[in-house]
Amino acid sequence: MKKIFIAIVAVGFITAGFAQDKGSVLIKNGTVLTVTKGTLTDTDVLIKDGKIAQVGKGIAAPQGVRVIDATGLFVMPGIIDAHSHIALDQINEGTNAITPEVYTGDALNPFQLSIYRALAGGCTVSHALHGSANSIGGQSQTIKHRWGTYDANSLKMEGAPRTIKFALGENPTGHGRRDGTQPQSRMGVEFVIRKAFNEAKEYSAKWDAYNKAKLVKGFRGAPPAYSLRLETLADILSGKIILHCHSYRADEIQMLLKVCKDFGVTRVVFQHTNEGFKVAPEIAAAGAMASVFADWWQYKLEVYYSTAYNATILTRNGVVTSINSDSPDLIRHLYHEAGKTQKYGGLTDDEALALITINPAKQLGVENRIGSIENGKDGDIAIFKNHPLSIYGVPQYTLVDGIVRFDREKDAGDQRIMVDPKQTVDATMYETGHAYDFCMSGTEWLFEEVENNKK
Amino acid sequence: MRLRPFIPILLFMLIPLGLLAQDEQELSPVTRTYAITNVNIIQAPGRKIDMGTVIIKDGLIKAVGKGIAIPAEAIVIKADSMYVYAGFIDGMTRAGVTRPKEENRQRPKDPGNPPPDQAGITPYADVRFSINPGDKGLDDLRSVGFTAAQIVPYGNLMPGQAAVILAGGKSADQMVIQGRSSMYSELTGANNVYPATLLGVMATWRDLYRNAVQAKSYDALYASNRSGLERPVSDRNLEAFYPVIDQKMAVIFRSERLLDVNHVLTLKKDLGFSAAIADVKDAWPIIPAIKSAGVKTYLSIDLPEEVKKDDKKKEAAASTPAQQEKEALEKRKMEAIQNYAAQAAAFQKAGVTFGFSTMSAKTKDIPANLRRMIAAGLSEDAALAALTTNPAQLLGLSDRMGTVDNGKMANLVITDKSYFNEKAKVRYVFVDGVMYKMEVKEAKKGDPNAKVELEGSWSTVTESPQGRAEGKLTFKKEGSGYSGKVSGGRLPSPVDLTEVTLDGNALTFKYTMSFGANTVTITGEVTVEGDSFKGTLSFGQNRTTPIEGTKDPKN
Amino acid sequence: MKTTMKNTKSIYGIFVALICLGVMFAEAQSPKAKNGTFALTNATIETVTRGTIANGTVIISNGKITAVGTNIQVPAGAEVINCNGQKIYPGMIDTGSKIGLLEIGQIPQATDERESGDIIPQMRALTAINPNATAIPVTRIAGVTTTLTLPEGGLLPGTAALVNLHGYTPDQMYAGFEGVVLNFPNTGRRGFGDRRTEDELKKASEKALATLNDAWDKAIQYHKLDSATGGKGVGYYPEMQAMVPVIRGERALLIEVNMQKDIQAALKWVKDKKVKKVVFMGVSEGWREAENIAKANIPVLAGPVIAIPNRDYDRYDAQYANPGIMRKAGVKVAIRSNEDGNGNYRNLPYHAGFAVAYGMTKEDALKAITIVPAEILGVSDKMGSIEVGKSANLFVCDGDIFETKTQVSHVFIEGWKMPMQSRQTLLYEEFLKREPGLNKN
Repeated sequence: MKKIFIAIVAVGFITAGFAQDKGSVLIKNGTVLTVTKGTLTDTDVLIKDGKIAQVGKGIAAPQGVRVIDATGLFVMPGIIDAHSHIALDQINEGTNAITPEVYTGDALNPFQLSIYRALAGGCTVSHALHGSANSIGGQSQTIKHRWGTYDANSLKMEGAPRTIKFALGENPTGHGRRDGTQPQSRMGVEFVIRKAFNEAKEYSAKWDAYNKAKLVKGFRGAPPAYSLRLETLADILSGKIILHCHSYRADEIQMLLKVCKDFGVTRVVFQHTNEGFKVAPEIAAAGAMASVFADWWQYKLEVYYSTAYNATILTRNGVVTSINSDSPDLIRHLYHEAGKTQKYGGLTDDEALALITINPAKQLGVENRIGSIENGKDGDIAIFKNHPLSIYGVPQYTLVDGIVRFDREKDAGDQRIMVDPKQTVDATMYETGHAYDFCMSGTEWLFEEVENNKK
Repeated sequence: MRLRPFIPILLFMLIPLGLLAQDEQELSPVTRTYAITNVNIIQAPGRKIDMGTVIIKDGLIKAVGKGIAIPAEAIVIKADSMYVYAGFIDGMTRAGVTRPKEENRQRPKDPGNPPPDQAGITPYADVRFSINPGDKGLDDLRSVGFTAAQIVPYGNLMPGQAAVILAGGKSADQMVIQGRSSMYSELTGANNVYPATLLGVMATWRDLYRNAVQAKSYDALYASNRSGLERPVSDRNLEAFYPVIDQKMAVIFRSERLLDVNHVLTLKKDLGFSAAIADVKDAWPIIPAIKSAGVKTYLSIDLPEEVKKDDKKKEAAASTPAQQEKEALEKRKMEAIQNYAAQAAAFQKAGVTFGFSTMSAKTKDIPANLRRMIAAGLSEDAALAALTTNPAQLLGLSDRMGTVDNGKMANLVITDKSYFNEKAKVRYVFVDGVMYKMEVKEAKKGDPNAKVELEGSWSTVTESPQGRAEGKLTFKKEGSGYSGKVSGGRLPSPVDLTEVTLDGNALTFKYTMSFGANTVTITGEVTVEGDSFKGTLSFGQNRTTPIEGTKDPKN
Repeated sequence: MKTTMKNTKSIYGIFVALICLGVMFAEAQSPKAKNGTFALTNATIETVTRGTIANGTVIISNGKITAVGTNIQVPAGAEVINCNGQKIYPGMIDTGSKIGLLEIGQIPQATDERESGDIIPQMRALTAINPNATAIPVTRIAGVTTTLTLPEGGLLPGTAALVNLHGYTPDQMYAGFEGVVLNFPNTGRRGFGDRRTEDELKKASEKALATLNDAWDKAIQYHKLDSATGGKGVGYYPEMQAMVPVIRGERALLIEVNMQKDIQAALKWVKDKKVKKVVFMGVSEGWREAENIAKANIPVLAGPVIAIPNRDYDRYDAQYANPGIMRKAGVKVAIRSNEDGNGNYRNLPYHAGFAVAYGMTKEDALKAITIVPAEILGVSDKMGSIEVGKSANLFVCDGDIFETKTQVSHVFIEGWKMPMQSRQTLLYEEFLKREPGLNKN
């Protein structure tokens, strides 16, 4: 007990103030799990100015570069979570079935403790997704866990492709039922998405015509009405945005694949995908990908027929698969979640690690930047005591862009950056486990009415 | 003209009717010329004249300096060794603005596409239509030295346009210095309809703004040659953006939290308008970003409550881990509070020109808050600049206000000691040449040895030539203090006392009466002797009436 | 050797398929459990109470463990299971579950864990446990043989029951313990949706405590009158009748309590009321009050361990470290999963494993999911360790049971050999290589 208390009392090592900085570090003598190039024992990894500069044996430390002795430790690429809602002040703009114009990058909160706690689980990058309250939710942002920054925008992973959240099934239909609007069924979900895509096509056509006409000398005319909503949808159709779709049931997965095919949308990642195992051949054939829970089931009807073997079945059928969290707790132990695929289907170490590194990197379109330990990639690294797929794996250091953002030994317990001057000192928040769908948070007000009616 | 432009007509008990009626017949001052003599003149931060004279005439400052002849028609205020400053300017407040009635509106059929006003989008609206000259908030602001303020409308997303007004005046029009001074916005969502969250709010801002840019450009095209062009449909929401697009008007955002500021900077970067951030409370870590974005800045004059150190506890060293933890947490909390107090100093150090806003502050705490900021490193000159010259500059009013100089509006505040002195009291405030004399209350010291049994019911009588009123006061012990109620007479139902303090045998109590849109606080100050008390009730500006009470026998 | 390319490929294919399917599908499965005499030979036996036996044998007969050790004679007619390279553990006991009560979340018709009313200790979980719940096979094939199924809701939401995860009626499942649940008045916030003010929170917990005290006083009155009249003098009063065994110390009071302040208050309440048999559950801030809990000699069912800290300033691993800290202070600690939302009671060994990774000893953590909960619930004569005479609740696996990748190959519950299948494994078998695949014809 003392240790925990002392850690709080100790003067905190506050990592603030170098958000955009890139660091240089030499990690000596570890077992390096590159994920893409095998496992290298007694190997050094040199990170220079935020990038992996060299992987090999006996690398000499450049002057002034911090050396981390990783003897007996395991060095892996920073863990990537393709589905999370941490670091967000708002998750759902759930008032309208179609809200592609909204963007989670507008609601980033760099002070949420979840960011640090994710780092303490080796997780360096997450996909700050819009929620699943509506069929076409918001654009989402891939973030780096640059704990210590005061600038919300500096969490954004520069250069990461644009993404957007779609949602099928119970969540959007439940919203429709409460509001008395479409969709209230899976039929309606397909319809509102097709309708939105068709409107976007018309919108693009109008603008194309206008822009073309403008080129003719002496043209006079009114421009079509501007709409950020339709503009964004048009960007999906033209392939500028990766589509991430909350989905559970096999039929709705196939439905979206067909819609995307009809509209020429090729970059599709299914989220949750609990029944993805049933349509794995179809997902693979379409070149779509899947981001799944390791073992969640039972919390609602559409996950009732799940199996913990989902990730294995998808992988064996050739689908690029990742394990995600959708939870501020799971994001802290994705290494353990990935390990479960060894129990449920016997994936190899590299296959299991790929589920939380290079595969989610592919799903976010950043596989050239992160997801493995290779020269030229970002210096995002997690260093474990014991193998990360072992239950005894404990993250010791987590680096983002070559900067140590988590240090198990040195960090103070109290990691708050901004302290609420009005909070009572022993304010407590008790939450039992994770028995609800974080995808729906921010929409409680929609349920209040229902609750009140019950009473 | 009346000295006190507004006293609500109140029909509440304890205050005799006639006393109020008398107020209605207040006489105009004999002259509009004043001479403030023998006064320390702080003309502007760093510019001081010791023991000089200020002449005011017809609402303007006519002369400032030493050895100035006093006009024969002047009312002379012998301000011996007092201090005179330019009246303070509040960067953002809702004092003086009528709060709209809560409308019980139905949720629209399609909550995803509500009418703009229900979504919080009425940027065309003008706060000048909502000015209430009798609002108590203005009296409060004036009582601590503010003579002008930028007022913003109630509402969240884009409720309308701000105005700069005087902190006092007979009518709304008379009070307005500048209409449409800024467009006001809060980045908060509408209630249960789109946009309900920050996400939707940011998207709405971008969508509306870009639509406005497009509409404006088409309007211009149409205006230049209408032939063959479809008529542009007038849209007052989009048109309200035109001066913003032209950079003729800034958008002022309520930005209490650092992240609010972050969002404003994001929008400004995306859309390119000129922005102001106001009521900023905790943005010290991002000062460089604020500075380089060049947004106008009004820091909140509100501060989190200070935590008094318990010295006795301090002595006993924390022994158990739990105590150590608690102490560490308390220390962090104290540091956080201190950081808030030091925000203004940090902005000063960074060379940012900033004003203050009182939007979320308790007015009576303002002088103490300023002293806390000064103790945390803000210079007195910088504090004064943030109250006077800076907001005048940020609002484009430097030609009229902000300093004590010949030709400027006669907006002045006179204190008995330097304003930032703990014991300083505001004695006079001039707004547009109109004098408000402040009542100076000497705290009454009670007899510490007196034994008073306050608990119970007391019958009260207030009497004056104009009438007599009877009532009841009841007090109840609550922990170490008291609570109470006032009832009787013309009161429809008992009213809770908001503050009861008993110091020896000196009793003070307060209660608030609402009268239409107005509220008045009545303060009772009496001395208790056994089963009776005597003292005064005061209300409004310098209005007092004697009150006596006797304790009811216990049954 | 001449084999065609095609043959090699198909043989290889079958081989890969077998590897993928793992041990559990190596033999054809009957969906029925099997009774009889079993000899588990050549195993490393984690007895929990009597150390580790290398190369040992366990004999199961008539539902009991009849022999444990080396040099054990295999009885004639026994089914021999060669456990070479495998380990045998006692069945794990998860003391935090809704198994049998909660079939599907968010669907009221598929949930039975909550009844209307604030003080309803007479509501018995055992009555409503569905022996055919989908979660039962999912859980038991992971080696969790026994669960404490808890009702939830108000102050005294009902009576929990310990069940073995095999049987066709609740009675067949019943494992010999029932206890009354008390959700101790909570001063903390209940999650992100709880927007009550500090004052409202305080008032709510004060009110709840007053209600509890009133119920407790009435239960004492009822007990006294009931005793004085030999059970005849007082009428039908189901709430109080359910409380009487608790008052008399015949039945445990299971107190769910988590925040430090609440733990302090609960310790005081238990002392003031002289409650005879008390167990704390949850105890997520037990690390802040470990010495006092130890002093009061109250055992705890702690968990979930894999959880986020309660407070924003808590160290990130506060929950991981909690069981170890309490144990070190001398508290009797069982670990529970409490994974109600996701139906993952099968993750119980991982909660124990995280406790080990963050400071608890392996030995204590293993005890915390076997013998300690058995002792706390008063059923250690029947389960919790591998000892002669105990019920044969045990399982065989290929390694350290805390390790994520460890495969469980056999599970015995009260001597019945369980089919190693659940809906989740059946779906795996069906869909790993779906027929038809992409094209139907």
